[in-house]
Amino acid sequence: MGRYRKYASIARTSLEITFVYRAGFVLNMLGTIFYVVAMFYLWQTIFLGSPNALGGFTWPEMKAYLLVSFLLNSLMTWFAEWNMSMDIKEGRVATDLARPMDFQASRMATAFGPVPFEFSSALVVGAIVATVFGGIALPADPLHLVVFLFSAFLATLIKFGLVYCVSMTAFWTTGIDGIMVGRVAIQNIFSGALIPLVFFPDWLRAIAAVLPFQGMISTPALTYLGKMDGPTTALMICIQAVWAVGLILLGRLVWRGAVRAVTINGG
Amino acid sequence: MALIEAHGLTKKFRQAVKEPGLIGSLKHFFTRQYRDRLAVDHIDLSVEAGESVAYLGPNGAGKSTTIKMLTGILVPTSGSLVVNGLVPYEKRQQNARNIGVVFGQRTQLWWDIPVIESFNLARDMYEIPVKRYKENLAQFTEILGLDEFMNVPAGKISLGQRMRADLCMALLHDPKTLYLDEPTIGLDIAVKDSIRRFIRSLVVERGTTVMLTTHDLGDIEDICKRIVIIDNGKIIHDGDLAKLKDTYARDRVIHFQLARPPESMAAICAALPACETTTDGLRLSVRFDRFRLTAGEIAAAVMSRVEVIDFRIDEPEVEDLIRKVYLGQLSLESTDSDTAAPSLVEA
Repeated sequence: MGRYRKYASIARTSLEITFVYRAGFVLNMLGTIFYVVAMFYLWQTIFLGSPNALGGFTWPEMKAYLLVSFLLNSLMTWFAEWNMSMDIKEGRVATDLARPMDFQASRMATAFGPVPFEFSSALVVGAIVATVFGGIALPADPLHLVVFLFSAFLATLIKFGLVYCVSMTAFWTTGIDGIMVGRVAIQNIFSGALIPLVFFPDWLRAIAAVLPFQGMISTPALTYLGKMDGPTTALMICIQAVWAVGLILLGRLVWRGAVRAVTINGG
Repeated sequence: MALIEAHGLTKKFRQAVKEPGLIGSLKHFFTRQYRDRLAVDHIDLSVEAGESVAYLGPNGAGKSTTIKMLTGILVPTSGSLVVNGLVPYEKRQQNARNIGVVFGQRTQLWWDIPVIESFNLARDMYEIPVKRYKENLAQFTEILGLDEFMNVPAGKISLGQRMRADLCMALLHDPKTLYLDEPTIGLDIAVKDSIRRFIRSLVVERGTTVMLTTHDLGDIEDICKRIVIIDNGKIIHDGDLAKLKDTYARDRVIHFQLARPPESMAAICAALPACETTTDGLRLSVRFDRFRLTAGEIAAAVMSRVEVIDFRIDEPEVEDLIRKVYLGQLSLESTDSDTAAPSLVEA
C-alpha cells in the first residue's frame, strides 16, 4: 500500500487544484450544459416527427442516452490533456523525471483525481436537466446500473489512455492544439456522442466497431439502457477492457521511445 | 569507486536545419534536414562523495545536458555513467531517491497549493519516514525562514521565497547528492548570501555532495572547492579552485593612498623592477607577480619613499580568470604541470 500512497496524494492534490480553478470548472460545465440542452431540443424536434421510436430508441430513452453522454464527457476534461501536453512542450517533465515516480501512473493519478467531483457535479446537473425535460428512462434492472458503472469506469480508462498517447505527440510536434481538436472531433463522431451508432450507415458503423471510441460513450450508454442482450454486453465490455489496457500499454511504449529519442526542452 | 563516474559520456542532439526565408520554410516542410550536434562530447568526470563541484561554462556549453544525464532525465548517446552504483537512466526512479534537484528557473513546487502541501507531497513521493520528515522540515523551516509563507500558494510568493522553499523541497528526503542549476539566478544579495551559507552548511554538516552550475561566480567561491569548466561539450578545465587561482591569477595589485604627490616617480619605479606602476594624483597602484614579490616587500619599498595614508590589495578575481577561459585567452592545457607558467594568448 505504501508504494501507492504517493499516487493517492497526487490524485488528492489534483482534485484540490480543480477547486482552485473554480471559475474554469464552472464555465466548462456551463459550456457542456448549453451543448446538452441544444442536443435535447434538436432530438425533441426529430422525435416530434415520429412519435413512436427511432432506431429502437423512444424519446425518454434518447434523453437518457444524451445525459449519459453528457455525464461521460464531463469526466476528465480537456484540462488534463492540455496540462500534460504543456508539461512536455515547456519541459516541465524534466521535474517529474527527477522524482521517484512512474510518469504514466502520476499522470493517471492527476487525471483521475478530479473525477469523483466531476461525476457528482454532472449527476446533479443531469438530474436538473432531466427534470426540466420531463424525466428520462431509468435502468429497467438494477443490474444494468451496476454494469453501467463498471462500463463507465472502463470508458474513463480508455479516455485516459487515448489522451495520454495524444499528449505524447507534443514531444515531436509543436502543433498539439490541432491534434487535440482533431481527437475530439473524431471521438465525438465515432463514440456515438452526437448520434447513436445505430443511426450510422453500415460501412460507418463497421469503422466505428474497430475503433476504441465506441467504448467511450456508446457502450456504457447502451448498458445503462439495457439495449444489449447478456452475451453482447459481456463482449462489448471485454472489447472496452482490451482497448483500455492496450492504449495504456501503447502510451508506455510511446513514452519510452520519446524520452530516449527526444530532447527535453529548456532549462 | 567515486560517487559519480562518467567515462566518454556523450549526448548527441538532432537539430532541424532550415534555410532562411519563405523558400527555405517551404523546402523544410517537404524535406526536413537535420544536423547532429554534440551537446556533450566524450567527457570524463569523477566526483567523490562529499565534494562540492562548480560546473561552469558559457550558455549552450553542455552544462544542463550533463546534469540531466546525471539525474537520469536524459539518456546518453554513448559512454558509461554510474552514479552511486546505479546507471541513472536505467534505474531512474531509484536514482531519484538519492538525489535532490533544484532548477533555478523552474520550480518543483505545485503552483496552486500552499507550500506546506507541496512538502507533504514530497513526503509521500519519497516515502520519507514521518519522524525524519518532521525533523528535516522543522530544521529547514528555521534556517531558511519558511514560516512566513508556509501556507501561501507557491504562485503567490516572491522569487527569493520560492528558491528557499525549493531548496527545502529538494532536501527533505536526505539526498546524497544535490544538483543545483543556477540556484541564485535573479535573487537579491541578501537572499543569495543566505542560500549560499545554507548550501555550504549542507556540505560541511551533512556531507551532501553538491554539483552546481551557475553564472554567478560568488556562488562558486562561497560553495565550491573544485571547478570544472565545459565548453563546446568538452571539459576544458578540472581542478581545485585555489590551484586555478595560484596558477593563473598570479598578478595582484596594491593601491596606495598617498599623503602628498611623490617627488620622484622614477625612483619608486626603479625600486620596483618587474612591476607595473601607475599613478593618478594621490593614488599609486602597483601590479606585481605574487610568486616573485610579496605584498610586504612592495609596501616597504613604497613607504620608505613616500608617506602612505592607506592601502589595499586586490585579490585575483575568479571572474576575470573564467572570462579569459571562456574567451579562449587562457589556455588551460598546462594545468597538469603546476610549475609551468600560464600561457597567456592575447585574442
